[in-house]
Amino acid sequence: MSEPYTFQRISVYTPLLYGAVVILSLLVFGSQYRKRQVQELSQLKSIFDENEARDLYFQIKEKQEEEKIHEKVIKAALLNRGAEAVRRSIKMKELGPQIELLYKNGGIGEEYWKRFQNEIKLIDLEFKDTLQEAERLQPGWVQLFVGLAKEICFNQALSRRYESIAKRRETCIEQWGLKIDDEGRLIE
Amino acid sequence: MSTDLVYNTNSKQISLDESIGTSDISDATNTNIRQINKLTTAIIAESNPNFTPQPSDNLSKMIKSMFETGIKNLKQNKMQEALKNISLALEMSQRKRAPYEAFQIQLQDMQFMLRQKIDIELILGKNLDAIQDLDMLLNTGMLDPELFLRKTDAYLKLKQYKLAISDCERGLSLFPANPKLRVMLLEAKRRFADYNGDI
Amino acid sequence: MPQSYDYDEGSETWPFFMLTLLLTVLIPMTLMQIWKLTGKTETEDEKVLKVNNSKSVMNKLDDKYTDSSIVTFRDKYNNSINNVFSAKNGLIIVGWICVSVLIQIINSNESIAKSAMGTFDPYEILGVTVSSTEKEIKKAYRNLSLKFHPDKLDRNLSEKERLSMEEIFVQISKAYEALTNPATKENYLLYGHPDGPQSQIHGIALPSFLVNGSLMAKIVIFAYVSLLSIGLPYLVRNWWVKTRSYTKNNIHVETASYFVDRMINYKPSEILTVKLIVSWLSHSKEFRIYYPTLTAADFERLLLAHINREKVDKSERDIQYRIVAKCHTLINGLVAIACGFRNMDIASAALDTFKCIMQAVPDSKYSEILQLPNVNKDHFIENSEDIFTVGKLFTLDDKKIGKVLGISDEELLKDTLAVASNIPFLRLLKAEFKVPGEKNVITGSIPYISLKILVHSARQKVISEKKFPEKYLEDDEDFETIKDPYSNLQTIPLTTYSFSPYFPAKRRSDWVCLIGLQKDNKIIQTPVTIDRLSFKNLNNEFDKRLITEINDKNFNPEEWDIAKINIPLGQPAPNEKGTAFFKVVIKSADYFGPDLEFTMKMDVIDPPPFEEKEEIYEDDSEDNESGESDGEESEEESEDDNDSDYTDIDTDTEDEDEDN
Repeated sequence: MSEPYTFQRISVYTPLLYGAVVILSLLVFGSQYRKRQVQELSQLKSIFDENEARDLYFQIKEKQEEEKIHEKVIKAALLNRGAEAVRRSIKMKELGPQIELLYKNGGIGEEYWKRFQNEIKLIDLEFKDTLQEAERLQPGWVQLFVGLAKEICFNQALSRRYESIAKRRETCIEQWGLKIDDEGRLIE
Repeated sequence: MSTDLVYNTNSKQISLDESIGTSDISDATNTNIRQINKLTTAIIAESNPNFTPQPSDNLSKMIKSMFETGIKNLKQNKMQEALKNISLALEMSQRKRAPYEAFQIQLQDMQFMLRQKIDIELILGKNLDAIQDLDMLLNTGMLDPELFLRKTDAYLKLKQYKLAISDCERGLSLFPANPKLRVMLLEAKRRFADYNGDI
Repeated sequence: MPQSYDYDEGSETWPFFMLTLLLTVLIPMTLMQIWKLTGKTETEDEKVLKVNNSKSVMNKLDDKYTDSSIVTFRDKYNNSINNVFSAKNGLIIVGWICVSVLIQIINSNESIAKSAMGTFDPYEILGVTVSSTEKEIKKAYRNLSLKFHPDKLDRNLSEKERLSMEEIFVQISKAYEALTNPATKENYLLYGHPDGPQSQIHGIALPSFLVNGSLMAKIVIFAYVSLLSIGLPYLVRNWWVKTRSYTKNNIHVETASYFVDRMINYKPSEILTVKLIVSWLSHSKEFRIYYPTLTAADFERLLLAHINREKVDKSERDIQYRIVAKCHTLINGLVAIACGFRNMDIASAALDTFKCIMQAVPDSKYSEILQLPNVNKDHFIENSEDIFTVGKLFTLDDKKIGKVLGISDEELLKDTLAVASNIPFLRLLKAEFKVPGEKNVITGSIPYISLKILVHSARQKVISEKKFPEKYLEDDEDFETIKDPYSNLQTIPLTTYSFSPYFPAKRRSDWVCLIGLQKDNKIIQTPVTIDRLSFKNLNNEFDKRLITEINDKNFNPEEWDIAKINIPLGQPAPNEKGTAFFKVVIKSADYFGPDLEFTMKMDVIDPPPFEEKEEIYEDDSEDNESGESDGEESEEESEDDNDSDYTDIDTDTEDEDEDN
């Protein structure tokens, strides 16, 4: 009933070769994939629109090579940069649970969640970098620098809010359709 | 976005190159440049490179004296001057103090002075300005039934009935036993009903 | 394992394979289409809604004032399932044609018929039915065997004929055995053949010409490979990416990201205006998908032009309609995200923006009046006479209203008044926190918000909650409502279409409910949509200009429908006793005016002491006040029971004694 079995000659190395090919391709694939992931992460857009504080600091630093800039200007720029890092760090801590909840409930996508986690790490790095720069500019300044950066952050926020009062006033007049005289009184 | 910075060696201030159209410059850039310049001015005045957030006594004295002038004017019923002086005191606190001076002190200064300013503004009938200042004061966390009363009153004077009721109810939630707020709420509701033709 | 495969030489199997495939797809599809066509998919809700919509004044006026260009736009994008000539139906018809062709092929195929004959059917061979008795089977066997027994055959038959007769005789014997002999019967039942398991033939449903030649073989393999390892993954990937591309609120993931970005970068110095929200909307990915060639600035321009009722070039009109219609989903997504960030201001501003889009009226103090049709904008703004609300408008007599709004035509004025008096305003009659099964809010319990709302027209006189006797403002305390407080929702009809002639799609009126804490003025849960309300009160005659005082003669509470709305609270009651204040904002998505904003107080108490629980076991437990009296009553009852027990036993023994 059954046909006679036919034999086929296969060398000993065939299975070894097969195994090697498979493992090699998996390794290559793995490393390529990881490389691509890292590249993607680095190209992710930051959550914050821009980091002017940081950019300005580096611009001033660059300019120092052209002109002679007073060292206190650079320190000022660095303090500003530090204050901004503190502000972002506080903001991320505050928003963290809310964004997490939104993500878990399906209100925002995968990509945003990745960006958010990325951002937290970036902010951390940025602050550490700032502290290093501070140490470089003035050895031993780091301790004070952190305290100063915090105070500056809060004061800047207060001041920004105070400065915006004039603009808000104008918007209110427009929104509510008010007619205000020069003395700030309502014209009936 | 790289902007060309111009450095003024005399004033030690940085600014933007004016040959670039100002419309391209974002608000953030402007704000940050202002902030850096303010810091520069403050640090340059410091002789000690290891300066602390300790508030400057000199400035505190100046601000206090300016504020007291204002209060004196108030007692003399010279409202316009009072307002001017208190506003100046506030400006001084905002402009002259270093950004690294203790936040608590700066905040307390502002809160204290704003309260007076609001009262004077209300007396002078500058309801819109009062509302802006009240908004800011409440946002800084100073929750006081008097503030809610004043805000509701100012809203009513500006005929913003919904906002008046909203704020008054919030005030009542935080201070449920306050009788003045309750009366104010009833008044606000009455005026709103009239606005709606609910006869 | 078989050594060789039989390919489908005689076209025996592939027709069945194709037939199965086709039918698996066709039968459900056809059934669904037929079901849809007969219109039986309408639920009870939809039927009632259809009736209400046909009677609705607002709906008729909306149709009257809708521009013809919008009507053509709606028809273009409306998917009419009732269209018999749609592509889907065409496909179904082609499918059924293929099926009939296949059946033809099967029937005409001889080899199939042959193999069908190969099955062993003892009943057929003996000429009996399944229900025949043993006697009948025996008789049939007898008769047939007499005919076909080799010894009884005619000698004149050829060898071939003899053999075939013998075969038939063998079959007959086998059939008889299969039906009578228990062992053979078992074989037949198990294997379908009295001789036991037959050899199995494994076949492949492919004609051999497809497999034999090397070229054809390669093509077939290529076809399979491409289908399974390229085609299928491609389809699955596309489907997966599509699902992942949209958030739970049905907005594109990129749009959601953009909104979150805006919210994080939102500086308090920027004040929330309708313009700002519109600029956020114009960056949505959905718009870019529709019109990849246009920019965000274009979309913003078109949206603002819509709100300001500015004329737009004919070529851009369709674009404008499409993006405006999409704003509904986008705004809902934005509100959901704002609630996620607990920001009351942005959620409110987004809803206000949607009102502007619905009515094509910019946000100002005149909005409530300008949403009415036929209003002469410039004339009204000049002579507003301190009238900014529809309610105040109705304090004037009709003629004066016409003067204020600048409407001289009587017919137009009639329409305007009809719209104005049919805008559903809400009045809060009662608001409280309830815990199912409890009288008060206990620490850690899950309360819900119970609202009693009166829908009324701006033309009607204000009815305060005090005018309604208690019983109208109470919930039924039956088991159903306690078990599921939201079960009554189904009894409230769906809202009808709103008056929004400038909006490109027909929308039912709805309200969005935002709940926050007064303490920090932040939202505490996702938004709740209220889209079930009866508007029957709007027809009640209760003109505020005619009625001076509400008394028994002109007011009958029975005529007024009170909406009982229960809203679930997203979090449990605080764990400590005390008071908490909640801010509830109910904003209309369609009209300026019918918003509600109020504060609710939650008194949280500790759970009552254990004795109170015995309340549950009593029959008349309605008016029990304190825990102590409950305890006493239940004790008394148990004492009575004890007494009666003893009395029974006493009597029995007495009787026994007596008998003895």
